[in-house]
Amino acid sequence: MKKRGIGYGCTFYGTGYGNGFPDVSVAEAELNSDGKINVYVGATECGQGSDTIMRQIAAESFGSSVEIINYYSTDTDIMKDSGTAAASRQTYNTGNALRLASEKLKDRVIEKAKDLLNLNTTVGLKIENGEVFLNSFKATKISLSEIASSLGDEKLREEATFVAHSTEMDEETGQGCPYWPYTFGAAAVEVEVDTETGKVDIIRAASAQDVGRAINPELVEGQMDGGFAMGYGYAVFEDLNLKNGKIVNNRFTNYLIPTAMDMPELEKIIIEDPESTGPYGAKGIGEPVMTYVAPAILNAIYDATGVRMTEIPVTPERLLKALKESETK
Amino acid sequence: MTTVNLNVNGKDYSVEVDGSTRLLDLLRDSLGLTGTKEGCGEGECGACTVIMDGEIVDSCLVLAFQCEGKEIITIEGVQNGDILHPAQKAFIEKGAVQCGFCIPGMVLATKAIIDKNEEPTDDEIREGLSGNLCRCTGYNKMVEAVHRAVEINKEAK
Ligand code: FES
Ligand code: FES
Repeated sequence: MKKRGIGYGCTFYGTGYGNGFPDVSVAEAELNSDGKINVYVGATECGQGSDTIMRQIAAESFGSSVEIINYYSTDTDIMKDSGTAAASRQTYNTGNALRLASEKLKDRVIEKAKDLLNLNTTVGLKIENGEVFLNSFKATKISLSEIASSLGDEKLREEATFVAHSTEMDEETGQGCPYWPYTFGAAAVEVEVDTETGKVDIIRAASAQDVGRAINPELVEGQMDGGFAMGYGYAVFEDLNLKNGKIVNNRFTNYLIPTAMDMPELEKIIIEDPESTGPYGAKGIGEPVMTYVAPAILNAIYDATGVRMTEIPVTPERLLKALKESETK
Repeated sequence: MTTVNLNVNGKDYSVEVDGSTRLLDLLRDSLGLTGTKEGCGEGECGACTVIMDGEIVDSCLVLAFQCEGKEIITIEGVQNGDILHPAQKAFIEKGAVQCGFCIPGMVLATKAIIDKNEEPTDDEIREGLSGNLCRCTGYNKMVEAVHRAVEINKEAK
């Protein structure tokens, strides 16, 4: 028999290393001789899109498009440490460091522009599309490339460090504020359980994630799809099966992960509630997007069958066994 | 050692191979075409996908000597000079790429889908991509990308 059920799961998730562990990111920004902005960031791009969004963050600071950013990442010879691409921390932590470095550089660029334009104050000067201009009288302007060529051998380069706010938990009471910020998310799924075969199919699915602010909505959606697929695999397919400390399912013939045919269409809901301490309001969502998926699926299995599965993955064998046990009770 | 004559991405090659050389090794080690990836080496992941005489194959499961007289297309051969293949364009446009490890195989799988089917349905696309595993994207953006590749093909007509 095929039985359907609906389940929900939700989480809150702390960004960064947490628990008082020093979480430090350094980034640098520099005016290149042609007026472009060189950015040096130690954030590792492993497919999550950090190269893209870091360029967006730097470009935003200069009121310009990403084309003005020359982006350099992950070369320890020419840049400082931005910390690991882990703990969902790069957007928030390194994004913040980069925003600070960019803004420091921007202040210096504006200071130079003031001198070159023979003004007595920087008040009213703005940067947009590679030009510094007086907002009230736009004809008074100078381009970043003109500023750069006026510098001769002098280099405008600024560095900034961002240290995340995190305190140690009290080990006795479990109280404290080990992370900042937290991000919130939820999934809803409808499953169909085949009580003859023990197979669980997802019929419909939705995922909602608080991102503070989506710097790149396309990439956020990609992360949500990817997180859902991992959560789905975690819940019903992926079984390492350890025997005497050895992995039994050590190849793709027996360690099953979802394919394009398993993955349902996913309704993706991006929730934007800007985080006051984040770069332009953003928070990281690398890990959180998968955390609520397995609970939602297990709740849906419960709703469909009345059987509460307490072990994952819910393989057909395990589910059939549990269904049988519940009948004989 | 035997000599195998084959055509890869429009160029003829004569390569010395031994009985256990796989097409994957021939491509990567003898011809330096490292766009084709090895994931599992056992025909499960699709990272090593290439097109052989118009059909998708896992190059880890094809022995090099079986390629005598065959035409092979690898990821290096799908674009036309500087012009990206519609599948490549669509993957970029739709953000269907994350770490990129599965992408050469995915692009070739996409090419195979749209070469054979001018109007693939969602189910046909998912089936067509299902031999290629991706750990990052959750596939949905890829499904969108295949639809987009179909559109790009139509726009070009
Ligand atoms: S390497 Fe050939 S299918 Fe995985
Ligand atoms: S993009 Fe990383 S495996 Fe597919």
